[in-house]
Amino acid sequence: MMKTLPLLEARQVFKGFFGNPVLKGVDIALEPGRVHALLGENGAGKSTLINLLSGALRPDSGEIRVDGVPVSRFHPAAARAAGIAVVQQELSLTAELSIAENIGLGAFPRRFGLIDYAALSARASEVCELVGLTESLCTPVGDLSLGRRQMVEIAKALFRKPRVLILDEPTSSLSAHEAGILSRLIERLRGAGIALLYISHRLNEVQALCSHVTVLKDGVVTADQPLAGIDAQGLVRLMVGRDAGDLFPAWELPRRGEELIRLRGFSSGLARDVDFSASAGEIVGIGGLVGQGQEDFLLGLYGAMGSSAREAVIAGRSGPLKSVEAANAAGLAYVPADRKREGLVLPHSIASNLLLPSLGRIAKLGLRDRGAERNLVARLVKRLRIKGETSRPVQALSGGNQQKVALAKWLPLAPSVLLLNDPTRGVDIETKREIYLMLKSFAREGTLIILLSSDTPELVHLCDRVTVFGEGRAVATLPRELISEEAIVGAAMGINPKGSAP
Amino acid sequence: MEQKAVSILKTALRNPPLLTLLLVALVWLAASLTLRGFGAYGHLRYLLELSAVIGIVAAGQTLVILMGGIDLSVGAIITVTAILLPLLSPSADPTGLSGLAIALAIATGIGFLNGAGAAYLRVPPIIMTLAMATFLQGLLVIVAGGSAVSVTNAAVLWLGQARPLGVPSGVMLWIAVSAVVLVIIHRTPLGARLLALGANPLASRLSGINVTRSMLVLYAMSGFFAGLAGILILGMNRQGYVGIGEPYLLTSIAAVVLGGTSILGGRGTYAGTIPGAILLVTTTALITVVNASPGWRSIMFGSLILALLLISGREGRR
Amino acid sequence: MNIAFLSRQNLFFSVQRRRNRGLNGLYIVVGLFLLAYAMLFPGLLGISGFSKFTQNWFPLALVTMAQALLMLNGGISLAIGPLVSLGAVIAATTMGGPLGPIGGLLAVAASGLLVGALIGVIVAQLRLPAIIVTLAGSFIIGGIALIILPRPGGFIPDWLSNLLAGNGPVAFGLLVLLLVCWKLFLATPLGLGIYAVGDNPVGAFRSGVPVDRVRVTAFALSGLLTALVGLFVAAQTGSGDPVIGTPFTLNSIAGAVLGGVGFLGGKGTMRGAICGSLLLSVMINVMFFLGFSPVTQYVAQGLIILAAVAIPELTSQWSRKP
Repeated sequence: MMKTLPLLEARQVFKGFFGNPVLKGVDIALEPGRVHALLGENGAGKSTLINLLSGALRPDSGEIRVDGVPVSRFHPAAARAAGIAVVQQELSLTAELSIAENIGLGAFPRRFGLIDYAALSARASEVCELVGLTESLCTPVGDLSLGRRQMVEIAKALFRKPRVLILDEPTSSLSAHEAGILSRLIERLRGAGIALLYISHRLNEVQALCSHVTVLKDGVVTADQPLAGIDAQGLVRLMVGRDAGDLFPAWELPRRGEELIRLRGFSSGLARDVDFSASAGEIVGIGGLVGQGQEDFLLGLYGAMGSSAREAVIAGRSGPLKSVEAANAAGLAYVPADRKREGLVLPHSIASNLLLPSLGRIAKLGLRDRGAERNLVARLVKRLRIKGETSRPVQALSGGNQQKVALAKWLPLAPSVLLLNDPTRGVDIETKREIYLMLKSFAREGTLIILLSSDTPELVHLCDRVTVFGEGRAVATLPRELISEEAIVGAAMGINPKGSAP
Repeated sequence: MEQKAVSILKTALRNPPLLTLLLVALVWLAASLTLRGFGAYGHLRYLLELSAVIGIVAAGQTLVILMGGIDLSVGAIITVTAILLPLLSPSADPTGLSGLAIALAIATGIGFLNGAGAAYLRVPPIIMTLAMATFLQGLLVIVAGGSAVSVTNAAVLWLGQARPLGVPSGVMLWIAVSAVVLVIIHRTPLGARLLALGANPLASRLSGINVTRSMLVLYAMSGFFAGLAGILILGMNRQGYVGIGEPYLLTSIAAVVLGGTSILGGRGTYAGTIPGAILLVTTTALITVVNASPGWRSIMFGSLILALLLISGREGRR
Repeated sequence: MNIAFLSRQNLFFSVQRRRNRGLNGLYIVVGLFLLAYAMLFPGLLGISGFSKFTQNWFPLALVTMAQALLMLNGGISLAIGPLVSLGAVIAATTMGGPLGPIGGLLAVAASGLLVGALIGVIVAQLRLPAIIVTLAGSFIIGGIALIILPRPGGFIPDWLSNLLAGNGPVAFGLLVLLLVCWKLFLATPLGLGIYAVGDNPVGAFRSGVPVDRVRVTAFALSGLLTALVGLFVAAQTGSGDPVIGTPFTLNSIAGAVLGGVGFLGGKGTMRGAICGSLLLSVMINVMFFLGFSPVTQYVAQGLIILAAVAIPELTSQWSRKP
């Protein structure tokens, strides 16, 4: 077999920030017609490596090679010229501009110095068809759901006719249907001879799509080999560096306490006419395709969004909660999915973030009690094993540790109902497991946990019941014995499983 | 020795309030050595008296800016108090304290309305307070009709003129205000909440912070401090007229920013605003000493603010 | 008509039509105000009445455009007023001199571009917030205007005053010309970059938009428009005045906000901003002619601005509720 020449390659690259080495001599080679997986926990150096490959950062030493030729001064424009396209987690779209204009941004076809809208229209509709975007090209991107925007982002990368395509967690906000389109698209691109680099925390996707894997651990490559013959356990072992054991804790029978939530005909935002009830000590899952009103349901429960109900009893109070303050007072806490925008005050210290919800409770005579605050922070940091000096800004932490802070800050309030919105999105495996164990122990202590997740295995392994949403309504509630990935996806697609009571 | 100096300088560069304070000390030292009369106790005291007015207006402005807002109505509120106070002071009260209370209540009420507009109508604060300033301008034309009103209120005159123990009472008032504001920012839950609100309003709301109440309280406070400054100015001037508060709008914002507080909110402290106000007054005084034409004075003032900003007010990319 | 037919198939025109989204209410309000105005003053429909009306509107429309350009790009300028004054005094001092009227026009345009670009470089390269830079800049620019011409005076050729502010609809023609130029600019990659940089600067940078160049361009063009307003105002009054521009700062923001341009960048349209300035101009005219006292004018103006911002916000809040 002839050895194919890699299109893009990093050789022995080193990169550090403020004297802190992040990459320590990393090699990676992206070959045409191959889907290459890049795995590693958060903080292993994946994003830094992507930034080096796309020219956003320059290596301290080592070289980046395009078509086997070392490039000395690599920068984003050069990377684009070399046909390297990156789909990042953070979208690069402009809400007010149309789909077509967003897709062409930075690479517009021109005529007489003006944008050639006819050519743009023709080429943009081509790539939109590839990713299954059926919306009119003139629709402003601001009108689209998060999942559709992600598809526009991918279309935008394809518009530049890349030879190398880097996809960073492309499915994190996609529905199962969209993820399906994406995987077929990846197959097609591979067939067309494009080199793909695929980063994901979802191992089943990686196993289904990729043929070669590079695993990073603490800035060092621990594996660079064909994927054939490694199972999920093996992958986890490579990433964590030891036997992973089971990701999910064993399910145990919940000790159901008093009923904490009873809703009849509850509506809030996209969520309409939902009947729902849950008791202390339960873990209740909320599933379904992305954007079917699940998030609005949680926000409505939490009083952060206007809501109405025929009948509502929430933590002993009748009627929907009117404000977040009232919800906190009733013992509800909410951990949002988008921790950077909704969960944390990024530039502020870990300590101030941890203290934010309980400031009023530990004040004495209207003044803050520094001693008590210090003790509380120390306790929380120890209990959740949050790494890092507490006076440092929380944005310096890795995603997993940030998520722990977003969760930990509620503990002093001893919430009786914990609302979690995708708590493990973009979180590394080790932290995922810690979070799962924590949720289990909260439930054991009698907390009601309502877990909204886009990661179906999570719902399957953790929850005592799963309520599936479709078009804003609770279309099915699966009891423990009926929960399976097939049943959840099926219910979301409108296939009524046997024996389920909607 | 040299290393130590370098490290002190480095700490100062990372600490905007300290940097501004150092700048003030440097300017005062240089000016005292080169300009006759600058370093005299009487002159420095006068500079502090002027700084007190700006410092008190900027106290409210600092709180509001830290929360991510801005108050463009402080100038109008100063004018309102300075004109209404002489008219509303009951002649039956020889101390004049009741007039003071009425004027402060009105100023606080105006601020409260600003907060209500921003919180309930969701009008951006810059527009809300601008519209409020426009309202007040109209109102004043009815009340005062363009003529100046003289003040006889005893309390106001004492505040503007008296010097117990040789220290102007205005400066004492400023010290009291500074203590209160610093405690609010650094020692109360409200202070921590307003900083969080300024840095990330959405996350703060979801963390159980009552945004509406914070806005009402802080804009009311900004109105209160502007009213207090208006009373002080009235006492120092002995009369109020339309437009008396106008110069204090931009200077209050400039003092806040010079003190290293981010104009976008979420980062900063009143400890920086204090030297910021003094620095502003000093530079203005120096520009006056140079005896330049109004045009040159304006250019020097603008360039100085810009230069000081380059040192202390750098922001990350928006 | 032709355009309606094309829009069904042509991406450019359907994008243009989409941009009207959410502006219909504003169009109706502006239309009603214009109708009321025409009924009160039928003279509006004559050539000279129309010319006078558009001459009053023209400077406000231009400064609103200048401000909207910056706000769309995520900036703001508090130096609009002083820059108008600077344009006016440069026009009034150069047109009578060796440069002549054409040289004067070029001098005004060059100074506007230069000042704008300078502010843009400071904001983009030194990473200082636009609101503070332009606040400090307003002192500097105002000072320069005062030095060039300490008190009102200078010279503007009569023919120029008659041309721009006489009985012909030249101002309106110029406005239409400017709008065509804006449309062309927005159809260039740099023009669309204004939106992209305003809404999502990091994303725009990653997409290959030259972010800093876009920012500087926006400030330079805004400066050019503003300085040209100074020239027009000088022609209107027949002389230069170093503080004539002062009210334009706030009015430019008010016009842009009335037209639905957001403060945080990337939100709004230029056509909305123009309508906002027209609305503001009509309101000021109507109130003036109806003999409203200045007090009521102030109060009414404040109320209208508040309503313009609050009503869309509140209705969207209500419609979101179940």
